[in-house]
Amino acid sequence: MTDDGPAGAHAPAGPRVNSAHGARKLLLEVGRRLATMLLTLFGVSIIIFLVLRLLPGNALTSSLGVSAGLLNHSQIVALDRYYGIGEPVVQQYTSWLHAILTGNLGVSLSSRTSVASLVGAALPVTFELALVAMLLGLLIGVLFGVFGALRPGRAVDLSGQGVSVIGLGIPSFIIGTGIVTLLSAVFHYFPSSETFASLASNPWLNFQQIIFPAFTLSLGIGAAIMRTARASVLEVTGQNYVRTARGKGLSRRNVTWKHVFLNAFIPVLTMSGIQLGYLLGGTVIVEQIFVLPGLGRLLVESINDRDFPVVQSVTILFAAGFVVVNMIVDVLYAVIDPRIRNR
Amino acid sequence: MSAISVGPAPAMPRDLEGEEPTALRHGLLRALWRSRNGRVGLVLVGVIVVAAIAAGCGATPYDPQFQNASALLAPPSWSHPFGTDQFGRDILSLVLDGIGVSLEIACLAVAIAGVIGTVAGVVAGFLGRWTSAVIMRITDMLFAIPAILLALIVVAALGAGWLNSAIAIGVGYIPIFVRVVRGPVLTLRESGYVMAGRVLGFSRPRLLFRHILPNVAGILAVQVSLALAWSVLAEASLSFLGLGPPPPTASLGEMINQSASSGLAAIDWWTLAFPSVAIVIAVIGFNLLGDGLRDAIDPRTRKR
Repeated sequence: MTDDGPAGAHAPAGPRVNSAHGARKLLLEVGRRLATMLLTLFGVSIIIFLVLRLLPGNALTSSLGVSAGLLNHSQIVALDRYYGIGEPVVQQYTSWLHAILTGNLGVSLSSRTSVASLVGAALPVTFELALVAMLLGLLIGVLFGVFGALRPGRAVDLSGQGVSVIGLGIPSFIIGTGIVTLLSAVFHYFPSSETFASLASNPWLNFQQIIFPAFTLSLGIGAAIMRTARASVLEVTGQNYVRTARGKGLSRRNVTWKHVFLNAFIPVLTMSGIQLGYLLGGTVIVEQIFVLPGLGRLLVESINDRDFPVVQSVTILFAAGFVVVNMIVDVLYAVIDPRIRNR
Repeated sequence: MSAISVGPAPAMPRDLEGEEPTALRHGLLRALWRSRNGRVGLVLVGVIVVAAIAAGCGATPYDPQFQNASALLAPPSWSHPFGTDQFGRDILSLVLDGIGVSLEIACLAVAIAGVIGTVAGVVAGFLGRWTSAVIMRITDMLFAIPAILLALIVVAALGAGWLNSAIAIGVGYIPIFVRVVRGPVLTLRESGYVMAGRVLGFSRPRLLFRHILPNVAGILAVQVSLALAWSVLAEASLSFLGLGPPPPTASLGEMINQSASSGLAAIDWWTLAFPSVAIVIAVIGFNLLGDGLRDAIDPRTRKR
């Protein structure tokens, strides 16, 4: 589309930061992104605070309305103090922010343990699930997308398109329910029926418990990445500089990997970043289906129990994860694409 | 990247007289039918809408909540085409009712997101720098929270319910409308005929409503269709998690949850299959309709 495509697209200019100058620019870029990220996170914390605290049916009173019988007077007073009930809104917010920044996430209303320990136990599960799902999705998407586009209309391309229709059209919770049902009906096998095993304690059981939910999540991500990769490779293959590279006698493999693949990768990266948002949302539902004790399940349980300290912390954590990942993607652009780096 | 790609530009001279752009007036349905996506989408959405209307008129084969104790978990048959559930309720009637409820919630959610998002997007695109900057920063922040998560915390704060589901789902989609609308408005503001209108001394509202908004209508239509697909999905997800409207309101996500969590699905497959198919038809239908609308409106993608 843009005319500067071929200029930055030379393979020798490659994805390497090859001078001190380039490295400094990259650092500057990282610094700028970091500042934006902190600002965004600050805003996100305000939004979450406002939604949970100021919407009709004040969060704390409605939560106490349900669980008041469970708490004695001193606990209620302690909660009031923690939330700064009765103080001006701005002060409520700043004291909450201060508590969070110092690592004091509060106490869970339903289990009465510290929120930090609940979150600490759930975080690795969701992290592992998201990581495996993303890798699987990238694998499915890039493989089918790239090889499909190199030979359009052939078997690989068509089966890839089939996967993408399923992945994009069928919601993950239906795919997940289907997989669970199939496993238990046909194979009488349900790895999640045993208590969750961490990667360190029992790697094989852990693998069985993670792989199906991760696969469920990866179909949607893979489908979106595949579409992007396919379209992107097709577009790059048609560019003048690719024809020039072929014309000057470079080997087919050389052209495919150094000229086509690297340049086609940028939109794929963008799409992967976008998909991560869906991925984090998706873990909430998939963890529920596959009974994984991750952050998503913790979130849904605490919403049902009206356990607001937990809801708040988990939401902030999800949003922070999303923002941080997006920043990493942004920085990766600069690493991969010299045009962005040298702007 | 001229204004031509953004809206139906041939309508420009007539537009000054306040007529609607031509492509949106007659050619749209025909153009929609010409694209394969649009055709399939139109048919699927048609099926869903007819089902919803049938449920709305009470034209379901049985009362959805009627529990027939002599037909518990009956497999599909002539009297119960989709079978019955563990309480002996007719699944066809429940699915029809569920589609109706889900479409109601989705429409309300999209109306909320569409109106707020469009107004914010137009204002951000048309008015001065400061307003624009403030709106876009807020949009960025909303965007940083995954939409389904935003819906979850709104439900957490408001409590589960019909209206609350719609609000929660709508809020999650607002930032997308803002972004989709603002871009074209920025371009249109600088376009020849809006300049001409300005020179002629047209008021701001007149420029906005008669010259800019009609040209964003196409993009908006595409987005409304995609938003409906997402809203149906989000509604099903919320009620799957037990955060949708409480019973006796029928709900497809709740049916799937019941079937899966009770282990019924493995044996009595119809309790899972039919509500799932209904959701898939709705989601794919609205998505394809959106794609088809995009093909019909933007000639560049149509040729591919």
